[in-house]
Amino acid sequence: MTRDSRRVVITGLGVVSPIGIGVARFLTGIRTGRSGVKKITSFDTSGFQYANGCEIDDFVAADWIRRVDPDDLGRASQFSAAAARMAVADAGMPTEELRRRRVLVSVGTTDGESRDLDTLTARQLDAGVEKLDGRTVRRSAAGRLSSGVIRELGLTDVEAVTIPTACAAGNYAIGTGFDALRAGEVEAALCGGADAVCRKTFSGFYRIGTIAPVACQPFDRDRKGILTGEGAGMLLMETLESALGRGAPIYAEVLGYALNCDALHPVAPDLDSLARCIALAHRHAGIEPADVDFISAHGTGTRANDVTETGAITKVFTRPPPTISIKSMIGHTMGAASALAAAACALAIREGFIPPTINHNVTDPECGVDCVPNEARPADVNIVQNNALAFAGNNAVLILGRYRDGTAA
Amino acid sequence: MTLTLSAWSALSPYGLGREAFTAGVRAGRSGVAVLDREAYPGPFDRAGLVPDFTAAGHLGRKGTRSMDRVSALAVVLVRQLLEEIGADAVADSDEVGLVLGTGSGSVQSIMDFTAASFTGQKPYHVDPALFPNAVMNRPAGQCAIWHRIRGPNATVAGGAATGLLALSYAARLLRGGHCRRALVGAVEEYSVQRAWLEWHARAAGVDAGDADQVPLAEGGALLLMEAPDEARRAGRSPVATVLATRFMAFDEPDQAHAVLANCVTAALRSAGVAPEEVEVVVPLGAEGELGRQEERATAGALGGTAPRVLRCRPLLGDASAASAAFQIAVLLATARPYGPRDTGIGLVTTVDPHGVVGCALLRTAPGPAERAPTSRASGSRDG
Repeated sequence: MTRDSRRVVITGLGVVSPIGIGVARFLTGIRTGRSGVKKITSFDTSGFQYANGCEIDDFVAADWIRRVDPDDLGRASQFSAAAARMAVADAGMPTEELRRRRVLVSVGTTDGESRDLDTLTARQLDAGVEKLDGRTVRRSAAGRLSSGVIRELGLTDVEAVTIPTACAAGNYAIGTGFDALRAGEVEAALCGGADAVCRKTFSGFYRIGTIAPVACQPFDRDRKGILTGEGAGMLLMETLESALGRGAPIYAEVLGYALNCDALHPVAPDLDSLARCIALAHRHAGIEPADVDFISAHGTGTRANDVTETGAITKVFTRPPPTISIKSMIGHTMGAASALAAAACALAIREGFIPPTINHNVTDPECGVDCVPNEARPADVNIVQNNALAFAGNNAVLILGRYRDGTAA
Repeated sequence: MTLTLSAWSALSPYGLGREAFTAGVRAGRSGVAVLDREAYPGPFDRAGLVPDFTAAGHLGRKGTRSMDRVSALAVVLVRQLLEEIGADAVADSDEVGLVLGTGSGSVQSIMDFTAASFTGQKPYHVDPALFPNAVMNRPAGQCAIWHRIRGPNATVAGGAATGLLALSYAARLLRGGHCRRALVGAVEEYSVQRAWLEWHARAAGVDAGDADQVPLAEGGALLLMEAPDEARRAGRSPVATVLATRFMAFDEPDQAHAVLANCVTAALRSAGVAPEEVEVVVPLGAEGELGRQEERATAGALGGTAPRVLRCRPLLGDASAASAAFQIAVLLATARPYGPRDTGIGLVTTVDPHGVVGCALLRTAPGPAERAPTSRASGSRDG
């Protein structure tokens, strides 16, 4: 089989999200427009005038993590390990089978084990730097988000890489898994992203005025910003040949992706550069703009992001397709964001609907997109574009399609 | 698609640039020195610092006010490589990717930022200009902005294996058609915070006895990776060909040697290289149990052959996430012939305490003295 004919499909999803753990609950959540917003409790929020977020309060690590002592993993690594377990089970692939294969595990993140780093900082201030807990220090390494997955699954013939390219990292991780499978380098790829709510990121975004007091309202005239969230999304990907060979149901096909960098500003996005990335992704995937049935936007709900992003979309699309943001429901889960969004896209393709943008009152005329306000819309979804933007001007655009027998979607 | 390394540079305890690095390695001189304990209190007396390095000193005052040390090291490292290959190599900048390995960005910047939230009058009294430094992709982003590199910009983390993982990631970018050239490597900064975290992590690890013995190092190495015809078109002669990268994982430390041996054997097989063709090995060379496991693995995989072993730790100390990038640089800095057959084949190995092993197999080009690309600069003008 030549490189070009090797197609890559998603056969398993693992989801730890503020609106539900596991694919079934997540699907119900994005179909019914559930909101994951609540008061932040994971750190002391006194002194902040408001502190809503999208934390996960029903995650019990020991329910999901079997092989590793959960205390050897920080919260983000617990999320990635749990989501990886779920993805493998969801794909109907026995762990033994996965262990026989050559595998790539790639996990994107913004903050790594930021919760542990918060804890260590507090301890250092209280008791002195000599008194840090070695076990917490050891598990706080960013590489642990991917190496934790291989330990939990007992994989041996595996490359584990953590990709800390901030809030676009999930798409980066999925993209590199796609490349590895297409090139015949690996026989399965477990890819996604993970992050945990932390004080550092909350206080940073709060300080620059981008935390919404109550709710996240992407594309709304009255949007006030982001809500920090947490979780993990992991995708099990394999070649089409492999999926067909073992009779696995296919969620979606990965058609291509593109990355580029504005190289302009540390935090502000750039319209032209994002537009270029979208066009690159279309070319890489072999599709035309008119083929896209909906866009899963980065859609953070800040003034700057939503205007810039919809501007870039308008530049590429003569008639922009419905453009939604699941951040309205799950908040900004940082490095997990585009991975969870990719999982939502895969579900949308399989189930035939477009997830809604909730908390929506009046669309900002400056954005001017159909954001599928408040209620999911049934639709025949063939091709979806999943946008991700990150600090440092990084753009990552992923294209997924419905798997069609025989020919490319 | 075979990929070549057609230029490289390093920023290390030997100073700035490829030539300083090569001279230090060939002389077998240690770059580790006594630490200025006023500037760097902490658990270590010695470290491998890049001598006299400051952001403002090497990049000027403009644009460096909020730049942390790891970012400044990365920006200077990229500048050095661009001086080696000429600015026209990034002129078509959408086609150039940057893949930068990191431990956790700057743990100093991250924890200082969080500390400000704890100690300020209000928890949001943090410096917004420093917020990007508290995110791990800041060094890669700074490099992109400073040098206008607009292709894929990725940050990669994986402990001691980071440099090899970056190489593997960059190879996938190139093969996947996401860029035509990739700058790939890793950087670490020395900071008091990193020193303490390393010290505590070692004390809790399998080699606990050595916690304060092995000095830490900073700096990094960066390679230009591209397809051979791309290099040829640009008039660059390859310094090395990447024959294979391979990774595997172990559960318990006493399995590390067997797993790494399998990993090396798999790499040799995929490259079509016989064990006896490997003439030089550049191990991570950690002290204690994992270092012994690594040695045993190489001996096992290479059979009865006795390749030359280049040890980085005595030269540079423990460069953490920059270790493997330095190991590759040490290979490139060493003069051929490595052995009597002069195959030019070198093996770089690593064993990370988090259960990951990895290796890269490279064939360096002959003529080490002429291995500098058709450059117009020495690469060490920053001093």
